[in-house]
Amino acid sequence: MNKSLDPRINRLNIDKYPADLTRKVPLDQFGTYEVFTQSKTEQPYQHEGIVHAPSKEMAFIFAKEQFSRRMTCSGLFVVETKNIFVTATTENNINVYHTVSEKFDTTGHLEQYEFFHLLKRGKQHLHVGSIEARNAQEALALAKPAFSEEDPVLNAWIIKTKDILFSSEEDTIIWNTLPDKKFRNASAYKASDKIKAFKESQKSTL
Amino acid sequence: MNTDAIKELLYKIADDQLIIGHRNSEWTGMGPILEEDIAFSSMAQDKIGQSYALYQLLHDLGEDEPDQVAFMRKANQFKNSQLTELPNGEYDYSLLRHFLFDTAESIRFEFLAQSAYSPLALLAKKIQGELRYHTMHANTWIKQLGNANQESILRLQASLDQLFPFALGIFEPSPFENVLIEEKIFVGEKVIMQKWQEQIAKILNATELLIPSFSEPAIYGGRFGHHTEHLTLLLEEMSEVFRIDPTAEW
Repeated sequence: MNKSLDPRINRLNIDKYPADLTRKVPLDQFGTYEVFTQSKTEQPYQHEGIVHAPSKEMAFIFAKEQFSRRMTCSGLFVVETKNIFVTATTENNINVYHTVSEKFDTTGHLEQYEFFHLLKRGKQHLHVGSIEARNAQEALALAKPAFSEEDPVLNAWIIKTKDILFSSEEDTIIWNTLPDKKFRNASAYKASDKIKAFKESQKSTL
Repeated sequence: MNTDAIKELLYKIADDQLIIGHRNSEWTGMGPILEEDIAFSSMAQDKIGQSYALYQLLHDLGEDEPDQVAFMRKANQFKNSQLTELPNGEYDYSLLRHFLFDTAESIRFEFLAQSAYSPLALLAKKIQGELRYHTMHANTWIKQLGNANQESILRLQASLDQLFPFALGIFEPSPFENVLIEEKIFVGEKVIMQKWQEQIAKILNATELLIPSFSEPAIYGGRFGHHTEHLTLLLEEMSEVFRIDPTAEW
């Protein structure tokens, strides 16, 4: 195929010999990374949203401004979407751990896995702890006794710790001036007095 | 302490931050992808905030109000390096300038955190986190695109070659160089440039990009009010609304 420096031309996939079979070209789009933030050091990490990026490092750079540009932040991490293991989501307040089988595959070597729980629909997944296991399925089974009697968990996410890119301790200063940036919060714009005064002035001119 | 020397130092740093902040803000709504659009705009906002803080220090030394200083001066009264005023070009060009400039700026503030002029030292400590993110952002992008494909590498290389003499102009010596060093207010442009060269080389050596010669002639003039025609146009646009009614309240 003739390679052009203009990506728009390449996307057209024009071949010298159009009768030949070619593979369907993947979408010209980055993969996704999930972003988790911690608002204060004593708070658990919570899922915040998704960024598109070509690598973990780029995802981290984007995540910082997408999801920690307001209020406070003391830590952030990113993980590629495909590296998150997800349970089913239960209905009627059934604890998802009650559906977990006690049988599991024992292949793999011991590694640390992080656990995130959804306790209420519409809320974010929160970090609840970590466990060592040989694979995600085993990790889930091992966690079952600990969480079976607690508040119903509607959905659980499990992530291998080594798949995560964490902010380093020395880089937490990147959030130092966040509390000064009140102009990024809607609450910093107190317009009601001005609107009231404006309405009054309109009335008096009528 | 020599107030004239401090003022000259504050003006050149503040003007650099304001002008590059304005330039980078021109990417708002036009960034290559949404995530980068937000990140680049956010950093532009940081820079303008930093310039405001520096103009406030100047105001404390008897200069005019920050808004007056930012919007009402003529181009030949600005002390920014010419690098910061050049039009944005394509994204590779803006990104490369961001890398060259912010590396220098973060080194400058690292040293200013130890300045004998304590208001400046305090400010430098306060904003070190912002600068850390700015350089982290620049380095990650340069490593990404500097190793990606032929198009990205050629584009970055062309921008690097074009911008390099302007980047060397950041370090144009000031008439107060010796006073500032003697009074331990500022370590001096030579030291900053030395560190900058090391840092730039460290990042670029991790890419396919070739570093131009550090001994090529620098483009000076900005620190003495000599600018390209682009600065006048930039200032006209930046101050357009303010000049309609400088006493308007927001």
